[in-house]
Amino acid sequence: MARKGIVFRIITYAAAFLLAVPLLVILVWSFANNWPWPLVFPKEFGLRGWEYFFSPTSNSISILLYSILLSLTVTLITLLVTIPASRALALYEFKGKKLVEILILAPLIVSPVAVAMGIHQLFIKLRLANTFFGVVLVHLIPCIPYSVRILKNIFESVGDKFQMQGKVLGASPIQNFIYVTLPIISPGILSAASLVFTVSFSQYFLTFLIGGGRIITYPMVMFPFVQSGDRMLASVYSIVFILASLICLRSMDRLLKKYYKRGDYFYL
Amino acid sequence: MIMPVMIIIMGIFILGLFMGLLQSLGYFKAIGLTEITLDYYKEVLSSKDFLSSLGFSLYVSIVSSLIAVVLGIVLAYSIVQRKGKGRLAEVIFKIPISVPHIVAVLLVYNILSQSGILPRLLYALGLIRDSSSFPSLIYDRRGIGIMITYLWKEIPFVAMVVYTVLDNINERLTEVALNLGASRRQAFFHVILPLILPSAFSAFIIIFAFSFGAYEVPFLLGPTTPKTLPVKAYVEYINPNFANRPYAMVINMIVTFICLGLVWLYFKAFKWISKYTGDFNG
Repeated sequence: MARKGIVFRIITYAAAFLLAVPLLVILVWSFANNWPWPLVFPKEFGLRGWEYFFSPTSNSISILLYSILLSLTVTLITLLVTIPASRALALYEFKGKKLVEILILAPLIVSPVAVAMGIHQLFIKLRLANTFFGVVLVHLIPCIPYSVRILKNIFESVGDKFQMQGKVLGASPIQNFIYVTLPIISPGILSAASLVFTVSFSQYFLTFLIGGGRIITYPMVMFPFVQSGDRMLASVYSIVFILASLICLRSMDRLLKKYYKRGDYFYL
Repeated sequence: MIMPVMIIIMGIFILGLFMGLLQSLGYFKAIGLTEITLDYYKEVLSSKDFLSSLGFSLYVSIVSSLIAVVLGIVLAYSIVQRKGKGRLAEVIFKIPISVPHIVAVLLVYNILSQSGILPRLLYALGLIRDSSSFPSLIYDRRGIGIMITYLWKEIPFVAMVVYTVLDNINERLTEVALNLGASRRQAFFHVILPLILPSAFSAFIIIFAFSFGAYEVPFLLGPTTPKTLPVKAYVEYINPNFANRPYAMVINMIVTFICLGLVWLYFKAFKWISKYTGDFNG
């Protein structure tokens, strides 16, 4: 029995180790000015990669901010359209509900490459290709299913008893939504927002095809460094990517908590 | 309330697929093709180049997804068994989600390429003589680099899905089984495993479909030939000759059909199982 426990422990730690070590390696690489084969440690440490990243010529910071803005827009729109839909799917029965659910979840299964190539021609005609808004629109597709999955779950576990209470006590539908529904589902909104932001922020192919090289997001600047095997710069960009997304998720968390920190919400 | 979402899904997702389908059938008005035909499908399906790409794509996705599901279940089970769960599990689940595939590619490249950390360590230990005696795992025809990148992202994903289920069912049922004289192994295979199988299977479909339809990882880490299907579709797509577009769309449609076929099988399989076991709630 005790021996069995050790096996499980080893498996868990091994997994954590295999996940963490590669990240430590890129951290070291990002500070390595010179690290030739076959040295196990860099020959010379330095800030060359970071200097390049922060130099105005590389334009990295503004692209990063632009990318964050784009993904926040995607997150906002996704939430706006999926909150009512998830509520409807969780609480009401209506004709064709099964089909609606299948259609909403289908983008998890169908290749985004196929969708993007199919819609590209039309986007060009409608002048949506190569625009910020066009890229936002196409990012919505992989984001919607994740958001609906999370929000539908939370609406199902909360039910509509609190809304009923609000209604009985005379709240208008809008008041009811803002003061009753939103605070109750805020944890669900946070996890949906985090996941949607991450999915959009990591997107490469959709941006690259629909953005047509005009809309440059952060993964697109990173791509050539990874492709050419420039490890120092690719590592610097990767670390910034991870940090930036952690900071964004953290701030969303803070913002939401600050907004709804008026006591415990008693669902569950 | 569902209108806004449905407008987006129908107007971009379904319409995009539909237009892809039309073009794959040879209907492409912009260049004057207006006749519906299956010729493009016939041509693509009989091309050796396509078949080797199809084989390579299927092989990479099936093998990596199967390994991810098995190891993901093992990992989730281990985390649940370790009593003091908590933070470590959270770290394991969260790291790969916030690391995009492009970065995951870099991680694998840094460690497993012939000048990566692993061959350097082996060299320092005197186990290999030079960098070229380390097997090339990147850009290789066995797709090892691609598969390891997917595994790095997917094992924790499967573990997280399975963990959620395990955490809700574990203790009591295992105890009952043990009380009734089952061994630990029997309790796992006959009680726990059937309960986590549906979610493990749906996790399999999601990661299979993702890797089967993804562009970045095989583009960055795959061999020049055979290419995976999405990479091949893109090569056809950017061909300056528009008459090539239908070929790209045929490849896309075949990828889509295979993924949808798998989902159909999934539902069939569970209907079939529940026919013999009553219901599937355990």
